[in-house]
Amino acid sequence: MNFLRHLAVKECGEQIGMTKNDPIIVATDLTIAYELHRERKKLVALQDISLAVDPGEFVVLVGPSGCGKTSFINAISGLVPKASGSVTVRGSEVTGPGPDRAMVFQDYALLPWRTVESNVRMPFEFQDLGISEAEKNKRVKECLELVDLTGFEKSFPYELSGGMKQRVGIARALITNPDILLADEPFAAIDAMTREAMQAEMERIVMETGQTCVFITHSIDEAILLGDRVIVISYRPGKIKEVVNVNFPRPRMSNSAVKTSKEYAELRDHIWNLVKDEASQTNRGE
Amino acid sequence: MAATKNKSLQQFDTDDPNRIQDIGWTFKEVWRRTRGTVVVSINLITFFILWELVVIYGDINPLFLPKASEMFAELWVGLTTRAPEGAVFSGSILDHFLHSFNNLMFGLAIACLIGIPGGLLMGGNKYIESILSPYVWALASLPRIALVPLFILFLGFTTKMQVTIIVISAVFPIMINSWAGVKTTEKSLLAAARVFGANRVQLYVKVVLPYTLPFIISGIQQGIGRGLIGVVIAELFGGSNGLGYLIQRSADTFNTAMTFAVLLLLIVMSLSLINFTRWLEAYVAPWRNVNHI
Repeated sequence: MNFLRHLAVKECGEQIGMTKNDPIIVATDLTIAYELHRERKKLVALQDISLAVDPGEFVVLVGPSGCGKTSFINAISGLVPKASGSVTVRGSEVTGPGPDRAMVFQDYALLPWRTVESNVRMPFEFQDLGISEAEKNKRVKECLELVDLTGFEKSFPYELSGGMKQRVGIARALITNPDILLADEPFAAIDAMTREAMQAEMERIVMETGQTCVFITHSIDEAILLGDRVIVISYRPGKIKEVVNVNFPRPRMSNSAVKTSKEYAELRDHIWNLVKDEASQTNRGE
Repeated sequence: MAATKNKSLQQFDTDDPNRIQDIGWTFKEVWRRTRGTVVVSINLITFFILWELVVIYGDINPLFLPKASEMFAELWVGLTTRAPEGAVFSGSILDHFLHSFNNLMFGLAIACLIGIPGGLLMGGNKYIESILSPYVWALASLPRIALVPLFILFLGFTTKMQVTIIVISAVFPIMINSWAGVKTTEKSLLAAARVFGANRVQLYVKVVLPYTLPFIISGIQQGIGRGLIGVVIAELFGGSNGLGYLIQRSADTFNTAMTFAVLLLLIVMSLSLINFTRWLEAYVAPWRNVNHI
């Protein structure tokens, strides 16, 4: 598994003449602000964030609600304009969405009038990647297989459970084989049991495809189990409070020794204390 | 019986396709599917029989309330006969019904042609929205009946005037619903489409329009209701044909059975049209009604 991942990382690095150690996403002094028209104010959501993400790395952002995690991910995806600073992907500045980055949404964001298959195929319709029709069909089949949804091609999203819907969302994000997978609290609306299964699925998929992943969550367990690095962001304006490295061997979800280990408990405690301080500020501020 | 049923259900693995079993046409299944219709039919038949009995034994002046049977007879005769060529006035319900129905359909078509693109443009472009919205709200909030004398002045007692009133009645619900549909398109769907590379045109064609379609249909549904009011008002006020005119005429000539027959026909027409659009709405947007199934 590690070999696969290593291979994928090496491959995409070599294509553009980079070594495998060059970071794929670089944010430098990134500031994001929103205009509140009614109050004639500008709200700084995220201030001076500097972060480098290595290829194949799984980075998890945690922090209180409203701290700008989503803004950060949206800046990488190109949905939100930057106020100052820069975000580069593979050395080129992000100016808008691109096929090298894909996103998984908290509320799934599936088109309700389309079948599972048609939803997964959507990215192909919007961008011309020079892929033949047969190749597209093959990709759709592969991705549905990867998320274990074979047999549900013709179902509509409203016929599926929450977990299945999000698997469609993940398949859609993987269809163009993007280098970077962005996930904005993808399992927040999913019940606890399904959630655990989805986390295992996510770990397996990312290990298989070797993608770089930036992942937002409110669950500290999720952060530790999935992340190579956990980045704690402070309350408004969001700044990086601490970066916590997580060094458990993968796969972690299927390995019960990880969750019961002393290091896990300490790590969990440490991150919880960091987040708790910020969360209490949230309550005071509102 | 129940025990064997349970046993047969337990025997399947999760992936066994045979676990979906055909129920077939048992008596219970037929009843489950038809009981709604049966209950409504019995309900209505009882209602009309009671009506008949009340008129016969209640000593009610037939000028005010005809017998149900007389109403149906009048309806039957009216729908199966037509006026002879060149008649000045037709007593046939069918003739008047066709006139009203054609006007309504024509008016609704024009209302759709104006309302749907208008609403979509207002939803899609904030300049068009801010220019048009005061007029749309002004006309939409004005009771349409107040405009009838003006249109009679402009266009006379003509079919054109009747259609104009139908259009002005039906266009605003259609326009406002289409507008609202565009405006309420889920932000996350738009964000998803943009992340996966949709340009502005694709965003409208592949996300906003399909999302708005059920809104447009419920706009048309409201438009039908308003349009029918427009039909009757236009014909009551001015004109010498149509169901509204026939109501007026039959009441003036003390033919109450005919008046009731026309009212019944209006109810049936209105309900049929509205149920058709309900079905259409459920058909094009099954995800919106998933909780009612």
